[in-house]
Amino acid sequence: MVQTVLNNADQFKQSFREEAREIVVDLEAALLELNENRADMELIGRVFRALHTIKGSGSMFGFEELAAFTHNLETAFDQVRNGKLAINSELIDLTLAALDQIRAMVEENPEAPADRAACSSILSSVRKLAHLEDSVTALQAANPPAASPADPDVAPESPLADSALALREWHIRFAPGPELMLNGANPFLLVRELRQIGGLSIRVSMADVPPLAELNPERCYISWEMVLATSRGRDAIRDVFIFVEDNCELAISPAAGDSPRAPGQTAGDQAARALEEPRSAQPGRRSYDKADNAASLRVPAQKLDQFVDLVGELVTVQARLSELAARRDDPDVAAVSEEVERLTSALRENSMNIRMLPIRATFEKFRRLVHDLARDLGKDVVLTMEGADTELDKTVIEQLGDPLMHLIRNSMDHGIEPPAVRIACGKRPTATIHLAARHSGASVLISVSDDGAGINAQAVRNRAIEKGLIAPDAPLTQAETFALLFEPGFSTAKTVTDVSGRGVGMDVVRQRVDSLRGSIDVASQAGSGTQVTLRLPLTLAIIDGLLVTVGSAFFVLPLANTLECIELTCAQVERANGKQMANVRGELIPYIRLRQHFHIGGTPPAIEQIMVVETGEGRYGFVVDQVLGNCQTVIKNLGRFYRHVQVVSGATILGNGTVALILDPERLTQTAVRAAERRSRGRPSAAAHAHMQGAASASAL
Amino acid sequence: MGIAHEQRDESVSISLEGAVDITCAAELKAALVLALSSGKPVRVSLDRCSVFDVTAYQLLWAAQREAKSLGVEFTLAAPAPALILAALKEVGFEGFPVPA
Repeated sequence: MVQTVLNNADQFKQSFREEAREIVVDLEAALLELNENRADMELIGRVFRALHTIKGSGSMFGFEELAAFTHNLETAFDQVRNGKLAINSELIDLTLAALDQIRAMVEENPEAPADRAACSSILSSVRKLAHLEDSVTALQAANPPAASPADPDVAPESPLADSALALREWHIRFAPGPELMLNGANPFLLVRELRQIGGLSIRVSMADVPPLAELNPERCYISWEMVLATSRGRDAIRDVFIFVEDNCELAISPAAGDSPRAPGQTAGDQAARALEEPRSAQPGRRSYDKADNAASLRVPAQKLDQFVDLVGELVTVQARLSELAARRDDPDVAAVSEEVERLTSALRENSMNIRMLPIRATFEKFRRLVHDLARDLGKDVVLTMEGADTELDKTVIEQLGDPLMHLIRNSMDHGIEPPAVRIACGKRPTATIHLAARHSGASVLISVSDDGAGINAQAVRNRAIEKGLIAPDAPLTQAETFALLFEPGFSTAKTVTDVSGRGVGMDVVRQRVDSLRGSIDVASQAGSGTQVTLRLPLTLAIIDGLLVTVGSAFFVLPLANTLECIELTCAQVERANGKQMANVRGELIPYIRLRQHFHIGGTPPAIEQIMVVETGEGRYGFVVDQVLGNCQTVIKNLGRFYRHVQVVSGATILGNGTVALILDPERLTQTAVRAAERRSRGRPSAAAHAHMQGAASASAL
Repeated sequence: MGIAHEQRDESVSISLEGAVDITCAAELKAALVLALSSGKPVRVSLDRCSVFDVTAYQLLWAAQREAKSLGVEFTLAAPAPALILAALKEVGFEGFPVPA
């Protein structure tokens, strides 16, 4: 038992780290928002509370250096909160710089320790800015000396103590909840922290302590009734309990008969009197009893990955069971198989949902990048976001950070013009970088757009010819020209800066997007801006698919892309006069014969099936021999040897052990369209989609 | 942290050492229950404690109350260091639960 609790201490520390990371991300976002809305009291409060939590929790979990470092920042923002200090760029930049040090202190990585000189310089600047005394009280505040009981009659020294302000008395009832101690919190530290903001009278209640035999030794049954005489408000008192308020009963109310202290009367006198008086009728906040208290829990990502892997194995085994059941004429086995299939499907869906995360955190971290780069490059840029709550698989999210960073850096350095140039072009001096995310079938579209100068397609082409990437007379569409930007080492930048210009970033973007089985689309208009859109799969693990056959080959089409299935008869093929178009309720849909596309031999059946799919290129049909039905598909990588096979996103193992290729409808249609474009080049109409539809529809009609 | 539990003919002595906190609360409770169940006078020594948290305080308080109801003598053989007493006073514990 003792060992378990000792291990818990390490877990608490790790839990603090995880929470602190989230708090720092939120804090950074709040600071950058605050930089744009400097009078927003809600943001100021958010920054203060985050700093307070880092300080308080840090101290509680043994991060004393962190707590001491954060203390002065917290104090500065308390002054901001109280209207004694105005937000300015210096304070924002100092706090952002401090966040980098806080991150290092939280991680405690010996290879990347906090920079003590930088910490000292930051603290010195913050103290100067906030007119704080250069004192050692920071450390003392974070780690109050246990051996020096404060004189209850004397309010402790505080940088904010203002003797000119009238003291008010607050009645505080604090009863720790059942989990408070187990979560690593220490009620003693909280009570001591109250002493930091005023004179305190305390009455301890042991009324709830049960008989020894029934007592849970790791729970605190003691509660405190206190009267605090302070010039600070209710919020300042509540802030002391900010990181335990979900796990305690807390009531803060003005003490009965509260009035400014009479001359000669000590805080202790008044507080002691107040404790004798009836307590406020206001009920305590027993927030740990909230129904949603255990609504979420933290699980290591590794466990989640293992869980999803196991579900993947289960799905494969279930497919084998279904196959076996289908071969046996046994209704009992068939019933069990169907039930297992239903449960496996529900389990798969649930496990996939658990892995889905909103992209907000990834987006938010770029606020800092844009802020810092704008300052370094002398540009005025705001970052806007849309669809930040769009969810996608955590594995995809984890790998998105680098590509997005490179795209933003590229936009900031090359796309967005300096303010003077923008004004000369008739634009607003403040440029915008817009991050957007939205779902599209089984994919998520993430775009980075700017309202900068746009891409000079001719310059890209010239550079590609210069580098020998294309022949001087190579006929390229605009999309193909822009795709050259993602070639290794390609850059049109005249100078290499600290930010970009080496032609490395875009290559990294393409590699990462390829590894995620995604695609990149670039749209740009000279003078107006550029939009780079990443199309990524929602998940990399298991999908719902439709199993189809062409000859003896099995393919899986993602169900999310599939709209319907229609028959294609020989008569219809003849009527189309060789054009691969199907008339679906009056709409002409071009189709791709998978038999031809994959060079599969044999004779097609008299009646084939067209799987109509929705893609970024529009609606297309894939002609197959047979549709076998729905299947849950565990996506397996094809391995490095096949990594250049673009139209297949992976493979799966069927119940009978056969391997089926998972088609990527997006890539498949893009490949077909590009092939048609190349065939049609030289014709008046260059756009292949238009050609496929226009030319074919004319003949079909 | 250390909890020494010594049962003699005439009494049981419990000596606490180092950090007496939630990490050893279960062990302390077991020692107190065992000592009280013996029916012999219980003597607690706290002079070698360096940390004393709320779980330790409430355990000693509950044990003292239990001893009283059982008619068992429960006394402090060696008081806690002054630093700990001062720290406890700071958070509202005026009198230590176990009388000397």
